[in-house]
Amino acid sequence: MHDARGTRQAINFVLPALVFMAIAFLYPLAGVLGQSVTAADGALTFAGFVKLGSSRLSRLVLLNTLEISFMATLFTLVLAYPIAYHLAKQPPRRRTLLLILVLLPFWTSILVKSFAFTVVLGEKGTVNSIITLLPGIEHGPTMLFNRTGVMIGLTHYFIPFMVFPILSSLLAQSPDLAKAAQIMGSGSLRIFARITLPLSMPGVMAGSLLTFILSLGFFITPALLGGPKDLMLANLVDFYTRETLNWTLASAISVVLLVLSLLLIFLLSRIPGGRTVLGEAN
Amino acid sequence: MAAIERAVGPERTASSIFVSAMAWLGYFFLIMPSLIVLPMSFGNKFEMMFPPTSFSTYLFEQFLFEENWMDATVLSFRVAIGSTLLALSLGVPAAYGLVRGNYWGKKLVAMILISPILVPVIVIALGLYLYFTSVGLRGSEFALIVGHAVYTGPFVIVTCMAGMRHIDVNLEVAARIMGAGALQIFWKVTLPLLRPAMLASGLFAFLMSFDEIVISYFLSAIGSMTLPVKMFSSIQWEISPVLAAVSTLLTLLSLVICLIGASFQKKSQDSYRP
Repeated sequence: MHDARGTRQAINFVLPALVFMAIAFLYPLAGVLGQSVTAADGALTFAGFVKLGSSRLSRLVLLNTLEISFMATLFTLVLAYPIAYHLAKQPPRRRTLLLILVLLPFWTSILVKSFAFTVVLGEKGTVNSIITLLPGIEHGPTMLFNRTGVMIGLTHYFIPFMVFPILSSLLAQSPDLAKAAQIMGSGSLRIFARITLPLSMPGVMAGSLLTFILSLGFFITPALLGGPKDLMLANLVDFYTRETLNWTLASAISVVLLVLSLLLIFLLSRIPGGRTVLGEAN
Repeated sequence: MAAIERAVGPERTASSIFVSAMAWLGYFFLIMPSLIVLPMSFGNKFEMMFPPTSFSTYLFEQFLFEENWMDATVLSFRVAIGSTLLALSLGVPAAYGLVRGNYWGKKLVAMILISPILVPVIVIALGLYLYFTSVGLRGSEFALIVGHAVYTGPFVIVTCMAGMRHIDVNLEVAARIMGAGALQIFWKVTLPLLRPAMLASGLFAFLMSFDEIVISYFLSAIGSMTLPVKMFSSIQWEISPVLAAVSTLLTLLSLVICLIGASFQKKSQDSYRP
């Protein structure tokens, strides 16, 4: 009989998707793994990984990637936490309205944002024309094609990813806790430091890890808003794939990126709040 | 009790004002790019600045008639529609099979179907690049559609699985008792009930595909640039003012799909619970 746990024949419904993912995802992915240890003449080689470990460029880019991802995560957290906190304090109807301000950028094409930032942050851009209005300042700071541009672009992209998990861990707290502390004489700063913040740590951890993971493989923002010193691993993959056609090296970098991401995702799935971020898939 | 609550009720302390100020600064930062491109798109071709000094629809006319922008837009629509239909036709049955199924290896199957979410997009893009290069299909519309379906498929599956959990399983049991087969139940009972979740996931898959850049960038060739790829090369090399008009249209598309999708999603969560 058909019971709540379901039937055996339901596997037939999964098969088409499974075959598709095997051909269009797993097989190409295995291709990357294979290519990373295959020389141009088809022989087995570890030259790609050796080059990765020994070349100054790739070590620099790896360090860059870790540093940019870490800083972007930090900036995102600093900007996203007050937004999530503010949203959590609003009555539901008002919260829904304000959430649009977070959701619209979430669904806006990254190219639209990148284009807007090239206009706003440029040498003669909006920000600099405002800054140079101030007395005594003739040249505004350079904010495009350098680390600042990458940071602004990445932070903007990741704020929604950070707001949602923090907001859900803030909303999960019972308002009675803060109220009880208030009645017993705690000030709002003390309530925040002793109750609200510690209880929202699962959201903070999940959002930060997610941001860090996504940022490791980022490609568009460093390419458009960064300079030559802001190359990240993904840009190197692009360079070796399309410019120099060194597919072995491109694949080796991808494998490093893949392993790094999977390790962090495993960590994410271990922490409370991490599972909701990863989707209800499992 | 009420007296106490009134006494300790919401207070406007310096710290709460500070938090609000920080939050509004954040909202402004988030929404600023969208606010910038809108007035800029009504400027003219000689200035690339905000705020613009004159009003014209010149840039929209440029978008419609110049420099292959329309070709790229049409290709993006075709790829987005194709990949969404592919992702739905594979993903909806898969979601059904994962939620209603009970067989050996189900966890592993779910893991495989969702795994593209867990892999950095650049790695997927490289894999598809090598694969489609080796079979000589790189740069084809087919390759783009398949690549985007890999990318959007897992989201369709996750959304529809959530939708499935809101459907009362007893309706399917009733159909089975009355003699319906597995396919008939899926087609006549489950699918109609799943329609809001399907529409929501379809809309979001469409938008994800339409805006997708990394996979498209690796799979595109000179003659097969999607709109985001064309925008990417335009920002990188020339910064054409037409970008402002394209950005306005894309922002409107996101807004519309977002609002419609959210209403479907809400519908799929509200109904069907006895």
